Amino acid sequence: MPYLKEERPETLGVEGEWNIGAYTWKANRLLEEFVEGLKQRKLVGSLCFGCGKVIVPPRNLCGRCHRKMEGRVVVSDVGTVTCFIISPPIKRGKIKVLGMDPVEQGLIQEDEVIIPVFVKFDGADSNLGTLLIGADPKEVHIGMRVRAVWAKETRGELSDLEGVEPLR
Amino acid sequence: MRRVAIVGYAQTQHQFDMQKTREDMVFEVVKEALSHAGITRGEVDTVVTASTDFLDGRTISSVFLSMAVGAYLKDESKTEEDGTSAAWYAFMRILSGVHDVALVEAHTQGSTFNPHQVSFYTLDPLFDRQIGVLNDVSAAAIQARMYMSSYGVSEEEIAMVSVKNLSNAAKNPFAQRRMPDLTVEEVLGSKLYYHPIRELMMSPISDGACALVLASEEKAKEITDTPVWIEGVGVCQDFYLRDRNLLELDSLRKAAKDAYEMAGIRDPYAELDVFEVSEKFAHEELMIYEALGLCRRGKGKVLLERGATEKGGEIPVNPSGGALAADPVCATGLVRMVEAAKQIRGEAGEYQIPGVRRALAHGQFGMCAQKNWVFILGGEG
Repeated sequence: MPYLKEERPETLGVEGEWNIGAYTWKANRLLEEFVEGLKQRKLVGSLCFGCGKVIVPPRNLCGRCHRKMEGRVVVSDVGTVTCFIISPPIKRGKIKVLGMDPVEQGLIQEDEVIIPVFVKFDGADSNLGTLLIGADPKEVHIGMRVRAVWAKETRGELSDLEGVEPLR
Repeated sequence: MRRVAIVGYAQTQHQFDMQKTREDMVFEVVKEALSHAGITRGEVDTVVTASTDFLDGRTISSVFLSMAVGAYLKDESKTEEDGTSAAWYAFMRILSGVHDVALVEAHTQGSTFNPHQVSFYTLDPLFDRQIGVLNDVSAAAIQARMYMSSYGVSEEEIAMVSVKNLSNAAKNPFAQRRMPDLTVEEVLGSKLYYHPIRELMMSPISDGACALVLASEEKAKEITDTPVWIEGVGVCQDFYLRDRNLLELDSLRKAAKDAYEMAGIRDPYAELDVFEVSEKFAHEELMIYEALGLCRRGKGKVLLERGATEKGGEIPVNPSGGALAADPVCATGLVRMVEAAKQIRGEAGEYQIPGVRRALAHGQFGMCAQKNWVFILGGEG
């Protein structure tokens, strides 16, 4: 079974313009607090006053305690890889990670792989999905210590956190 | 068979463009329902929600609300369509004997995605969607025209439904449209959509949520001194738009018949004290009177003209204002259950009907009320 679109030259279709509609959502203001933190090169998390858990990126509710997570904390930008994926070779313009094209951004060369990782930053109880940058795919492992890599100029966007790199 | 009761409930103040995320809205209404019942999340055995992925704009949308609704690491399931379907399912889960306490929740934020556009997606994609102008409003207009010409009903008579319900809603703090001094002329002067359907003859676009707590007899008696018993339920759905006689609400007639039979009701006019129905369009309320067996076919307008369905009438219908006053789509039928329960418990404040022992709540979903749920609720005694 093919996994990619270009391997499916034919599918069921009807030529023409079709109205498919569009959705909107009400934004969660926590996203604003999170990207505002990124602009200052800080990782903001939410703290539950019920169980003391810290969630990064912040979440509004604690499901365990069924209450709002009212606390805010800044966690360390150093953390631990809890799991990872090694991608197939990446083509320019094929994927966007946190709104950016990793080839376009110069994070990798065309046909190199990317390594999406979950990182538990020190002080957090949750994982944040991001990219492992500047690491040999052979050296990545669960438990690897990493540090946040910030964009040269931060703008208050998710891509301000470009990824993490091995802590050496 | 086990008996099941409503032991707690809450609803939001329904409004257009609520300044809350869906998650916060649901969290708050669930917290309030649990606190109204006087129980904690820990005492809930199963959680059943209702919404549609189309309206929520995500697939398997309940996953994203599991924490808000208090379902974290709990038995949880979601029904589609109206909240009365979730109540019906939760009722059966308790009847099964496996669960004793169920939390039911339903919601829609119509301001984030026009529900009338969603109605377009419920149409057959290859033929009916391509007509372009077919949607729930134009389908309702087709139905209203059939009804008017078959039974000699005027636009004024249909507008009187809006006047009754929206002025009733003036006393309901949860309603969106509260219009104490509304006149037939104002209804007929409101914006025309598909003739004869005008803005004040159709339900508004609302953001809102509703939650209720159901419990088995034993548990219900522990939780409250004033349980509201589910005495009867009926559910029925009709053919799709094109195959159906739009002049009739046959599926509602059948659902009501089943619910009456289960509750041992032979004469609904005499035996029920108040009705909370989901009239998404004003003309539907007249058709609902007929399908519920309150009058003969085509005579709905006579009940209205006689004032029988007014708050002070013999069979008050929608003292809360009904769906015309607020329509948070999937929550609308569940709100009717809450309003009926409030009437039985004497908690309806300024729109309380005196001496309510038994009430009917109705939910619907689909074009021209394609699917219907009827609940008969009763107090102790």
